[in-house]
Amino acid sequence: MTRLDLEGVGFVYPDGTRALDGVDLTIGAGESVAIVGQNGSGKSTLVRHFNGLLRPTDGRILHDGEDVADVRTAALAARVGIVFQNPDRQIFAGKVRTEVAFGPKTLGRSATDIEAATRDALAAVGLSDAADANPYDLGYSRRKLLTIASVLAMGTPVVVLDEPTTGQDARGVARVQQVLAGLVADGRTVIAISHDMRFVAGSFSRIVVMGGGRILLDGPPAEVFAEPAWPVLASSYLEPPYAARVGARLALGSTPTETALVEALAARG
Amino acid sequence: MPVTPSPYHRLNPLTKAVIATVGSIGAFVLGGYVGPIAIMVIMLLLAWRAGVLARLARVSLLLTLPIAISVVLVSVFTRAGTTVLFQIGPFDATAEGVDFALQTLVRLFAISLSIGLFIMTTEPRAFVFDLERRGVPPRAAFIAVATIEAVPTLVERATMISESQRARGLDTEGSFLTRVRGLLPIVGPVIIGSLTDVEERSLALESRAFSRPGRRHLLWAMPDEGWERVLRWVLFVLLVGAAVARLTGRI
Repeated sequence: MTRLDLEGVGFVYPDGTRALDGVDLTIGAGESVAIVGQNGSGKSTLVRHFNGLLRPTDGRILHDGEDVADVRTAALAARVGIVFQNPDRQIFAGKVRTEVAFGPKTLGRSATDIEAATRDALAAVGLSDAADANPYDLGYSRRKLLTIASVLAMGTPVVVLDEPTTGQDARGVARVQQVLAGLVADGRTVIAISHDMRFVAGSFSRIVVMGGGRILLDGPPAEVFAEPAWPVLASSYLEPPYAARVGARLALGSTPTETALVEALAARG
Repeated sequence: MPVTPSPYHRLNPLTKAVIATVGSIGAFVLGGYVGPIAIMVIMLLLAWRAGVLARLARVSLLLTLPIAISVVLVSVFTRAGTTVLFQIGPFDATAEGVDFALQTLVRLFAISLSIGLFIMTTEPRAFVFDLERRGVPPRAAFIAVATIEAVPTLVERATMISESQRARGLDTEGSFLTRVRGLLPIVGPVIIGSLTDVEERSLALESRAFSRPGRRHLLWAMPDEGWERVLRWVLFVLLVGAAVARLTGRI
């Protein structure tokens, strides 16, 4: 279990761009959190701090209360796994199986553990049939699932996914949702960056809205997508999910998902 | 023409290319110490005038040092000579080896300063468009600019790939050996990604009639003063003269 605490975290890139500005955020063990915001709002910069790929220029990061300023990324990778947005900037092996085994191998797991973790991770994303294929023979959607498997195999208590549904068809999105649900059921912390409001409303219990390197909103979907919060969402060029807008037009209260909308309609009778 | 920070930046790109070429080849042709050191001094003065002195000196040192160290080690200990300065195991460090290493070093620095100054003061597109204006085919011009501009893109791509591998526990923060080992998983995605980019960019260009035959109108006019043309020819003649003098044993 790993609890993440960010205390007054700021980050300025070498060219002088301030990407994060005094971010205070706590993500408890086992939470499922979506981070949303316009491009350049600081989402990707923020998650790169979770495993030390970036180090804050102000403030500090704590894992289970321990300041990780002096802990190497290679060590933090055992706690926080990050799936990057573009699979082609991650995949390097000639075989799907080798790609998935890379993470547990670098973490020093035993041969038996690596084999089991690889098999389970491939099964979780539906790629068991492609274990011996060349990753570049897979389509984009399956390459993306492969990168998810390669991080799942590491068994980290925290899994971060950057735009997991980009380039996925409906089946791929369903598969990603299934994987996330499995992780949450296992008690692992799941954090995802996404621009897909329907996906985040339906898959995460907490949503953090970012803008200008700061946290603008932080709460459950029903609160973040409720009508009073819409001006804040608009300031970050975000639109609430369709179900939330329909619910608001029908004066049904906050209905961030289709299920919530149907339930509200049924309750009205 | 974009806004440029110094008069040296505003020179015609071909003039700066000729200065870089003459500086680089000249350092080799002249040999010894005086010629290459004179070229180094000229390049440093020009860099100072262009406001890039500190950056050029730093980059030149960083680029040249790894080669310089190996050159010094190999030359000092393997060059045959009569004056032995000291011994390490079976290897003799000779005065002739030290002399050869120093001569090679000043040449290397003169070359890296010449090329570095050109890169730091010339917009790749300006150089290529100027060549296109002088009759280089658009296809060749595109290949040239794509190659030059590929370097920062590759660096950015390598950084991102490195991050994704580090996120999976690859240790790249330790010793030299650890860093080298960490490079291996980066090479594949960098090359494959670059090839994919090239393919996609070619298709995008073709869909915009890139290979349509006929004359093109360039919207970016580069100044090329009369004195610059004279300077280029003078530098060229000096280089040829130095080469002839070197071949005939006069210097």
